[in-house]
Amino acid sequence: MTDERGMRDRSEEGPSNFRPGAWLEGTGPHNDIAICTRARLARNLQGFAFAPSLEHEESERLFSYVIQQLGQPGLPEQLNVVDLDPVDDLERSMLVERHLISRELASSERHTGVAIDEDESVAIMINEEDHLRTQVFGSGLQPDDVWRRMEQLDNALMQRLPMAWSEEFGFLTSCPTNTGTGLRLSVMLHLPGLVWSEDIDRATNAAQKVHLAVRGLYGEGSRALGDFYQVSNQITLGRDETKIRDDVMLAVGRIVQWEQEVREALQRGAARVKTLDRVHRALGTLERAQILTSEEALGCLSALRFGVHTGLVDGFEPQNVNRALLLSQPAHLQCYTRETLSAEERDQRRAQLLRELLGCTP
Amino acid sequence: MQYCTACQKAIATIVVMDLDEGSVSGSQHICTACAEQLGVTPPQQPKFSGEMLEDLLGGLKETQEAEAAPPPRLECCPGCGMAPGDFRQKGRLGCPRCYEAFRHELIPLLMRIHEAQAHAGRLPSTMPVIEAHTAEERPDLSDLRQKLEDAVRGEQYEEAAQLRDELRRAERGEKS
Repeated sequence: MTDERGMRDRSEEGPSNFRPGAWLEGTGPHNDIAICTRARLARNLQGFAFAPSLEHEESERLFSYVIQQLGQPGLPEQLNVVDLDPVDDLERSMLVERHLISRELASSERHTGVAIDEDESVAIMINEEDHLRTQVFGSGLQPDDVWRRMEQLDNALMQRLPMAWSEEFGFLTSCPTNTGTGLRLSVMLHLPGLVWSEDIDRATNAAQKVHLAVRGLYGEGSRALGDFYQVSNQITLGRDETKIRDDVMLAVGRIVQWEQEVREALQRGAARVKTLDRVHRALGTLERAQILTSEEALGCLSALRFGVHTGLVDGFEPQNVNRALLLSQPAHLQCYTRETLSAEERDQRRAQLLRELLGCTP
Repeated sequence: MQYCTACQKAIATIVVMDLDEGSVSGSQHICTACAEQLGVTPPQQPKFSGEMLEDLLGGLKETQEAEAAPPPRLECCPGCGMAPGDFRQKGRLGCPRCYEAFRHELIPLLMRIHEAQAHAGRLPSTMPVIEAHTAEERPDLSDLRQKLEDAVRGEQYEEAAQLRDELRRAERGEKS
């Protein structure tokens, strides 16, 4: 159900029946390590300047044209178009936390929008740095399905919107880092094993050597809170979509295998007791803490997620741990408590919400 | 083998020569540590890298182009009016037509970012249901582009320059 602005109606949703979106479903191949696969295409319309250079009137004209074309029947996806103008900062932040829009789009002063499907596995950002930024998400490691869906949607979009391209440079984008295919294929990975065994730098360096970008999913700069990483291609020109996918998947496949091996090693011999201690300390904190910062919560949830997937702790649904990850983010926390909170109040509320969500004693 | 004339302890690895009107009037053999203290930078072996290759080829390109025709003077983009200085400063393009307007400066930038300068993926023209938006048909130049990239990688600069000229001619629709 959506409201009159196209935003999902969350009035009936609470922490217990909260739906986290396709990327956090916890299904799909290798979902213990690979949270989700995402493809993103950057596209621009012919006859318009790129979004950052557009005059106000032209920007409005482009926005209306795109909205009208997306509303025409015949797209392979059922999309709700959300005009972001009347959407407040808190709800914009929620869309960012759900990965449906970028931070840049949320804070843009241009007239922006996003078209989202019912299960939040497709999102088309309008008037971001490029006129259209189409994203398709799939839970776990499923690059083929994600790309097939993206290709169909992109074909359909190109039939109704004249995109800017040239034989020589491919799809023309505002920033030359996206020129060519305009494709950014990324996989979000949970790598507590590699972090705990201190192999993470070697793993990320190896990926960077083959021109892949590795960055933390949460936190600023190089710090990866909660041991969540995102691996994506940097090169978009001179390689076709299949080669880009193969390059990303080759590296991701090796990292996933490395993480699996380390996880097994962490449960053997002398390492086992340390690992158990780490997981149970995290669980103890989640069960008893009265104040939890976002950073501490992510650390504890990471250890719990590790424990649940390796079978070191039982009694928790992996989906609930994923839900907890999203619900402990600042905007979600405030949305479900239905009040604006100070940082201190948020930390108290976060501790309480996580206890409730994970079924821990108060 | 000679000891450093400054500290008398370490082996001298650097020779500092005094030049007087073009002829050597004196010399001093010193070690690396003393050279640093004296503010003399030891000669460094250049590390061979992709960027160097690109610079080499870029230089070669420029030389060749200087012989053939002067490099085009960059003007504002006719599509959006973006000035060449803006493009250089921001590293962003203003509109699709900027790609042609700033082509000369864009290609080295694309080479640095992507190690390639030409597209190899999907295009609306390769999709049967969609009409191509280009007015003219262009020959398939992907083979030539691949050869050019291989030549650059293989450090075959002369061949690379020839291939580049051939590619340019082909793009302009001339016969080689």
